[in-house]
Amino acid sequence: MSHHASPVMKFLAAPFLVMLAGLVVWPLATVLIDSFSKSGAWSLGNYVEILTSAYYGQSFVNSLLISVVTTAIGMIFGFLIAVSLRYRKGGTRRIAMALANIGANFAGVPLAMALVFLLGLNGTLTLLLKASGLIGSLNVYSLTGLIIAYCYFQIALAVLLIIPVLDAIEAELEEAASLIGVGTTRFWLRVGLPVVARQMIAITTLLFANAMGTYATTLALTGTSVNVVTIRISELVSGDVFSDPNLANAIAMVLLLVLLVPILVSQLLLKGDKR
Amino acid sequence: MTTTRHPALTATLWLAAILMLLPVLATFLNSIATGWTGGILPSGLSLDAYQTILSDSRFQSALLRSIVVAGLALFLACLLIVPAVIAAHLYWPALDTWMARLVILPYAVPTIILMVGYLRVFSAPPLQFSGQPIVLVLTYVPLCFPMFYINVKNSLQALDTTELLEASRLLGIGDARLLRRVILPSIFPGIALAVVLNFAGLMSEFVYARMLVGGQFETLQMYMFAQRDLSGRLSSVIVTVYFLITLLITFAAFRLVWRTETKS
Repeated sequence: MSHHASPVMKFLAAPFLVMLAGLVVWPLATVLIDSFSKSGAWSLGNYVEILTSAYYGQSFVNSLLISVVTTAIGMIFGFLIAVSLRYRKGGTRRIAMALANIGANFAGVPLAMALVFLLGLNGTLTLLLKASGLIGSLNVYSLTGLIIAYCYFQIALAVLLIIPVLDAIEAELEEAASLIGVGTTRFWLRVGLPVVARQMIAITTLLFANAMGTYATTLALTGTSVNVVTIRISELVSGDVFSDPNLANAIAMVLLLVLLVPILVSQLLLKGDKR
Repeated sequence: MTTTRHPALTATLWLAAILMLLPVLATFLNSIATGWTGGILPSGLSLDAYQTILSDSRFQSALLRSIVVAGLALFLACLLIVPAVIAAHLYWPALDTWMARLVILPYAVPTIILMVGYLRVFSAPPLQFSGQPIVLVLTYVPLCFPMFYINVKNSLQALDTTELLEASRLLGIGDARLLRRVILPSIFPGIALAVVLNFAGLMSEFVYARMLVGGQFETLQMYMFAQRDLSGRLSSVIVTVYFLITLLITFAAFRLVWRTETKS
């Protein structure tokens, strides 16, 4: 499409590119540069501190644990729900998509509060379960509580992302399988899942990153008591006794690396898929 | 396709719906119950707490702040992002490829990381706005990008833009006029959907609101955070009201989709 209008029309994208440079590239560049600054001098000191400190190491271990567990649960349930919705009419699908969308936006402070009303010390479900003798005690202000809370929005996000991917599998393929006597379970294990495997891996990396970067839900549910990466970063820039913004920059860079590597690898896999 | 409808799959759907609504139901029960101390059932029901919260001027101003900030950010996002997506689609395929990759940006680079960078960016010229509400308007714009890209791109793909461009050039109509008179009106439903979906997302933003601006400009999320340890009834009312707001926005968005689906 070589035409005289093209170069001029490209300028329509200029404001967007300026915005991208100023509000994404520039802040990320300052995070990278400042992460190498310690007490006013260039050094790898911040990174050394993260790698040698048991405290910061533990924050990454905890974040990884919560994220891996809730990503696995999110993917399994998200997939099951998305498959179930395939056999449903448009109305049910629409309601389910809306619910999943609300679930994803409900994450954060309101979700933490709602979970306390359900599973807190005097939570509705806690009291019911205690009365029935099923549990002795349940502490929602804990790592377990965080896993329950994260699952809520991880499953919702998985449903939203998996539904369009499954739409790519033609109904005819499934009908043909069913005609030659292949059951639903076997169809999805043998045909369905392998067909969408690469997209599923890509969605898994997004869910993992989503959990690793979660802050609002964590802070509202467990405050600073559970040691996870996002809480450490926010404490280091808060300007109180723990303040060390450059260390926060370095932790943010390590976090970015942990998120970007799987995402980039999965995107490369997807690219190979298209060829 | 009803033959393949598995009972186990139906059970999955019901279980998921119940589990998802359970925290909301518990919150709602809390918000209308009176004298609920230890027992499984409350001694009475009342909507009084709703009156208290809805007429609370602090709640009203927080809601208003959130709406204004989200509105301004979306206005800015429309001005900056929509022309860029159109230009990339029509004239600049290389940029379009990059935009498609950038859709995963909010996942790949969580707000907690960008927040650390923004602390620095907004503390010195030319963007020396540290702690001011305009910081939220600006930082919310990149967050809107994926929804705008996906929905505007979908609308553009539904039009045969290449053919439209060729036809209009044959007729001697300038590209600018074609964009304004034909393409922009046709992709309007896509833009509207992106605006509504992003609006719900921005209302739920917490990291920037807390870390970049803080309590002196209390948004809805900051208000909820401050009130989370209030008496159980009042804070459960706040959560229920917030859930209803999200519900309303989401159904508005899905009505938009539904209307365009039935039209085509």
